[in-house]
Amino acid sequence: MGVRSASSSSSPTRREMYQKMSASSSSLVGSLMKTWKSSRHSSAPDSSDGNIEAMQKPASFLRRSTSHTSPGPSHIHMSPLRKSLSGSANKDKSHHHVQKKDRYFTDLDEDWSAVIEDSNTPIPMTSNGGIELKPAVTVGSASDKDQSVSRSVSASASYPNLPRLNKTQSTGLKSQYEQENERKLQELNALMHRVAKFDLILHPPNGNQVNLSELRRLSWNGIPMAHRPRVWRLLIGYAPANIKRQATLLRRKRQEYRDGVALVFSKEHTRDIPTWHQIEIDIPRTNPLIPLYQNPLVQESLQRILYLWAIRHPASGYVQGINDLVTPFFQTFLTEYLQPAQKEDVVKLSPDTYLTHEQLLDVEADSFWCLTKLLEQITDNYIHGQPGILKQVKNLGQLVKRIDSDLYDHFARESVEFIQFAFRWMNCLLMREFNMGMVIRMWDTYLSETSLESSGSESSSMPATSDSSLQSSPVAGFREVSSSLNLQSKHATAGSNRQTSLSEFHVFVCAAFLIKWSDQLMNMDFQETITFLQNPPTKTWKETDIELLLSEAYIWQSLYKDATSHWR
Amino acid sequence: MNSALTSIKLVLLGEAAVGKSSIVLRFVSNDFAENKEPTIGAAFLTQRVNMGDHTIKFEIWDTAGQERFASLAPMYYRNAQAALVVYDVTKPQSFIKARHWVKELREQASKDIIIALVGNKLDMVETGAERKVALEEAENLASQEGLLFFETSAKTGSNVNEVFLAIGQKIPLKSAQQQQQGQGSSGLRINDDSRVDLRAAQDGPAPSSCNC
Ligand SMILES: Nc1nc2c(ncn2[C@@H]2O[C@H](COP(=O)(O)OP(=O)(O)OP(=O)(O)O)[C@@H](O)[C@H]2O)c(=O)[nH]1
Ligand SMILES: [Mg+2]
Repeated sequence: MGVRSASSSSSPTRREMYQKMSASSSSLVGSLMKTWKSSRHSSAPDSSDGNIEAMQKPASFLRRSTSHTSPGPSHIHMSPLRKSLSGSANKDKSHHHVQKKDRYFTDLDEDWSAVIEDSNTPIPMTSNGGIELKPAVTVGSASDKDQSVSRSVSASASYPNLPRLNKTQSTGLKSQYEQENERKLQELNALMHRVAKFDLILHPPNGNQVNLSELRRLSWNGIPMAHRPRVWRLLIGYAPANIKRQATLLRRKRQEYRDGVALVFSKEHTRDIPTWHQIEIDIPRTNPLIPLYQNPLVQESLQRILYLWAIRHPASGYVQGINDLVTPFFQTFLTEYLQPAQKEDVVKLSPDTYLTHEQLLDVEADSFWCLTKLLEQITDNYIHGQPGILKQVKNLGQLVKRIDSDLYDHFARESVEFIQFAFRWMNCLLMREFNMGMVIRMWDTYLSETSLESSGSESSSMPATSDSSLQSSPVAGFREVSSSLNLQSKHATAGSNRQTSLSEFHVFVCAAFLIKWSDQLMNMDFQETITFLQNPPTKTWKETDIELLLSEAYIWQSLYKDATSHWR
Repeated sequence: MNSALTSIKLVLLGEAAVGKSSIVLRFVSNDFAENKEPTIGAAFLTQRVNMGDHTIKFEIWDTAGQERFASLAPMYYRNAQAALVVYDVTKPQSFIKARHWVKELREQASKDIIIALVGNKLDMVETGAERKVALEEAENLASQEGLLFFETSAKTGSNVNEVFLAIGQKIPLKSAQQQQQGQGSSGLRINDDSRVDLRAAQDGPAPSSCNC
């Protein structure tokens, strides 16, 4: 069967952006207007923190956000949204991508089945990344419907040739049931399209190199469940982009982990009792409501991962919250061993019913390395005094002051301090605020935001597994410090490198999250505010809500780029 | 009955996993969770208690116990009128930590802060676990430092309300009747229908409090 992809999908970026924007128009425009209003009213630059040129020039920054004319600094990687806002500096590069992709899709059009067969990942029917299949999302006006589809599915192009899609033309006469069916079909189509895109990028037809910036761009909008383990390993810089080298490297890393564990739990190593106990206490307290984490095998795995990480990073050691951060990795890597229809059940199934001991150790090893990679990006959050978190909280305050000065003033009047609610947001990357499914979707985007320069998979390796290197913690500590310094200096000097970071983006997500409740918060006193923010009404959040939040964060990051120049 | 309202800012301090959050959960919701997530930063909760002719509203900051978070603690105890310093009766290390907190509060917190020393997880001792912090040892610390002292179980609820009641009785009230102890406790109930009347719970071991 010949299935053609819609050609318009080759440049989803700008359109997507506006769809996201229009989908969120009420809240987003509202807040943008607020910004504009407040900036217009503030006639003089605020000397204490005012380097916000845009704030003083609402007209120009509005223009910049809509016309794409202002040159932006070059980016190593870009989300689609980012690209659409970042201006002409990237035009050449993105144009290049588009061309390439067009060619890929020509291939795809010509040989759809071959592509599917090439891929060893079956198309998930029940599991997906970034797509809400449930019919209940928006059944309403036609425009509502369109929005919900295009908002949740970044490659929203459908396959015009599928017969059932075009069967009925008179929408007015269609029954609700038919409409729902049709929408489900469309979504399924979009999902398949998306799956095919990921297949293609993970198995480049010509060459052995996975295009990482393309992968980041695509992943920013969500990763299909079937691809997630492999994509996460790539995004975070654990697996190499060269597919020829992937298997070898993973084998080596997994062995390295096993050796590390063997050594640390051997007689030669003196157990760090306080650390071990603290981890032991926290393991059953990790995601206590998800059955998977009460499983003894899983608990043992997590305990090994956390302990090994802690003693290898003595400058920070084990800090509560890190136990939360390892779980999305672990859970995601487990799904690799489950049939598509079962992947959602990963939270319920006991791993020993579907994988071997060695496979579980592989999952454990991958989780360890990916956790290591993630924490490399936020080292300052967990060292003594947690300066990274304090800085993020401060930046959040400053940001809210600019974006929503009414709310900021209200907090000041009520003596609400940002650290009272935002500390946890930073320490656990908002994981306590959302259920696990939403967190994992969020991480698709977050891992797309991780810094490329630490993506050289050789850069992090187990130190030579000798007793001395393990027990001489000062040396390990020195290594840690020096590597983080190294990272910082790269950030500072390399104009050619990324201009954002995970922690920076996270602050914008937190700002978007807070301002989402602005209208409600304005009517709350101190106690109501803190209570509300400690239990935000996010239980019912769907992926579309998360995606909206991420888009808003992204837009603000683009608008307030100058605000972040002094963050580092 | 219309009654005067007194607010008490109260902070909980103590080593990780001794049961601070569980004590608060018991007091506020009369509930217990077998596995409770570690507190990150601090959690804020409130509970009102009717004591005869006046009402006390507890504004509670439940802090995180891990050492790494300790630098945040001053922010929460700075303005507190009362503090619960909690340890686990089966964990000697947690009692050492409790001593440190008492010392720090005496040095850094407000002069007239009311401190209650609380040995939690008493149910474990009753069900066979070895007690690692002797009653006398804790009582000695309490009398030396002028602390209220209780042994509690957040799991069974034993003595938990009594801690807060005792603090409520020591706090200077707007009405001048706080000296009538008997009346105070007999009239006590917590204005949440899930709550037991504390008169029924008074038959536990009498709190050895040290009125300085
Ligand atoms: N048997 C028993 N277990 C308890 C009691 N109180 C708490 N626990 C358990 O001890 C563990 C830790 O309790 P939490 O209340 O989270 O301890 P915490 O002091 O708040 O810990 P942090 O937030 O990490 O500082 C949980 O698994 C509780 O279920 C108790 O009185 N008896
Ligand atoms: Mg707690």
